[in-house]
Amino acid sequence: MSKLRRREALWFYLFASPWIIGFVVFLLGPMIASVYISLTDWDSFTPPKFVGLENYTRLLTEDPVFWKALWNTFFYAAISVPLGLGIGLWLANLLNKQVRLRKVFRTLIYLPTLVPLVATAMIFKMVLAPSGPLNDVLGVFSIPGPSWLLESIWVKPALILLSVWGAGGATVLLLAAMKGIPRELYEAAEVDGAGPFRQFWSITFPQLTPIIFFNLIMGLIGAFQVFSQVYILTKGGPDNASQMMVPLLFNEAFSFYHMGYASALSWLLFAVILVFTLLAFRTARRWVFYETEVK
Amino acid sequence: MATVISAAAPPQQEPQPGPERTPSRDRVMGVFRATPFTYATLIIVSAVLCVPLVFVVSIALSSDQTVNANTFTILPREFHWDNFTRVFSTDLPMQRFLLNSVIISTGAVIGQMLSSGLVGYAFARLRAPGKNALFIIVLATMMIPAQITMIPQFILFKELGWVNTFLPLIVPNFFSNAFNVFLVRQFVSRLPSEIDEAAMVDGLGFFGIYRRIMLPMLSPVLIAIGIFTLTATWGDFMGPLIYLNDETKMPLALGVQYITSTSQALQAPPWNLVMVGSILLTLPMILVYYLGQRYLYEMDISGGSAGVK
Repeated sequence: MSKLRRREALWFYLFASPWIIGFVVFLLGPMIASVYISLTDWDSFTPPKFVGLENYTRLLTEDPVFWKALWNTFFYAAISVPLGLGIGLWLANLLNKQVRLRKVFRTLIYLPTLVPLVATAMIFKMVLAPSGPLNDVLGVFSIPGPSWLLESIWVKPALILLSVWGAGGATVLLLAAMKGIPRELYEAAEVDGAGPFRQFWSITFPQLTPIIFFNLIMGLIGAFQVFSQVYILTKGGPDNASQMMVPLLFNEAFSFYHMGYASALSWLLFAVILVFTLLAFRTARRWVFYETEVK
Repeated sequence: MATVISAAAPPQQEPQPGPERTPSRDRVMGVFRATPFTYATLIIVSAVLCVPLVFVVSIALSSDQTVNANTFTILPREFHWDNFTRVFSTDLPMQRFLLNSVIISTGAVIGQMLSSGLVGYAFARLRAPGKNALFIIVLATMMIPAQITMIPQFILFKELGWVNTFLPLIVPNFFSNAFNVFLVRQFVSRLPSEIDEAAMVDGLGFFGIYRRIMLPMLSPVLIAIGIFTLTATWGDFMGPLIYLNDETKMPLALGVQYITSTSQALQAPPWNLVMVGSILLTLPMILVYYLGQRYLYEMDISGGSAGVK
């Protein structure tokens, strides 16, 4: 290597050193430590006791709360993410028409996504209160509203409702993407006699699938890691009906100091997320449309 | 990832129907025609989405009596604007919360902007053995959920004596993160390389090129990174919850929740002041979005976290 090349390489490693150091200290090191901790029984004060795979087997075979939390997280992710995207897409399609005051509508629809999660949780604590505005509205239609956060069948729908309030994030993104779809496609379809509905499913939707897919993946990963709203609103209750993976992990680690057990839980969470991401990618070939695939 | 970045938002243009053009363009095409039904739906949906926000304002403006009687209304009936000043003079350390939020967020933003630019530039432009392998690691780390490292990091910071300080929430930001590095790298890759080649001929070293040539051009991506970091840190709940348990150290996001969780069972939390706190937590985000949205659109990445709530 020439002297100049060596100097350049030196500068590269110097410039990249913040990331390299951060990677080793805050990611690689902790990951290795996490593998080890997950194989021990450790309260973080006394020396750890090596127990092999016991934490994993206990989680998978003896802990009913873990399975409940896993199921709840699945349920939450499987409904809130597609529902949020579906509503986002529906609203984007409406805004993509020649509507007056489009910017006003867009702003109003986007506004909820700017509210930090803690504030959102506070807001929904009041909105979902047994005598709160949601039940007032339901009362107008003489539907007796449940005590959302206090009933085991309604607590998950309540959390899903909170997440769907932020569907406007997807709307803004999809709307921007819709504007990029060539108008000629619609003109051609119009000439061929396709109605608005057909045009949506044959032009708009396929053109948007890459961005929908990306949002689906990111949404699922985020939903599997749901924490703040559960911690603030329900603490996993009632009767673990809204217990989810990360709040469970947090409790095990920082309320009960079961560091080994919680670490094992974190690896199982990682495995679940990985499996789902891979599954999503497998299905992608069937419905995600990439322009480059067409010659 | 790359496909998404390029597939995302084109610049914001409102396609106007051109009535002055050819007769066939005179009418709006079927799919783009807004019917009364379109307007009705949009109005109803916007109203429904805004009800919680109006309700918050209504609670924030209500008197202590209304809070105790729990008789809130969706539309405000009382206007106790003094709640917004009173919140700073009660025994709730709201001022302190706000100041803590500002300190933590500022530190985090500075850290990310300083480090991501440098690292991203290196990955885009400098040649070195092992660089490509390293970049694959950068991409791979994006997949690892934070929960994996949460416990060992806590142990690490505890050993360092950093628990109950802002340091665990600020310092890691000075080591950049994979997503931001990726953003800067993509951004720099799109700049013509003649610029830095010319600078090198003129005798500038690598740091000089970065400092004098690159840094000014990087401002859009660095501002976008600043906005992302600010939004994430300002609203972060879990980090402060893990590391800060002293009331005077809490940022606003944790403080607001802390107020509601520590109220006595018999006494309802001061909901009006809690909602003032929630509004204080939200307003900066609206302001930042309003001021920064053109950078976000420019970066085409505002949607990276859309719908992840």
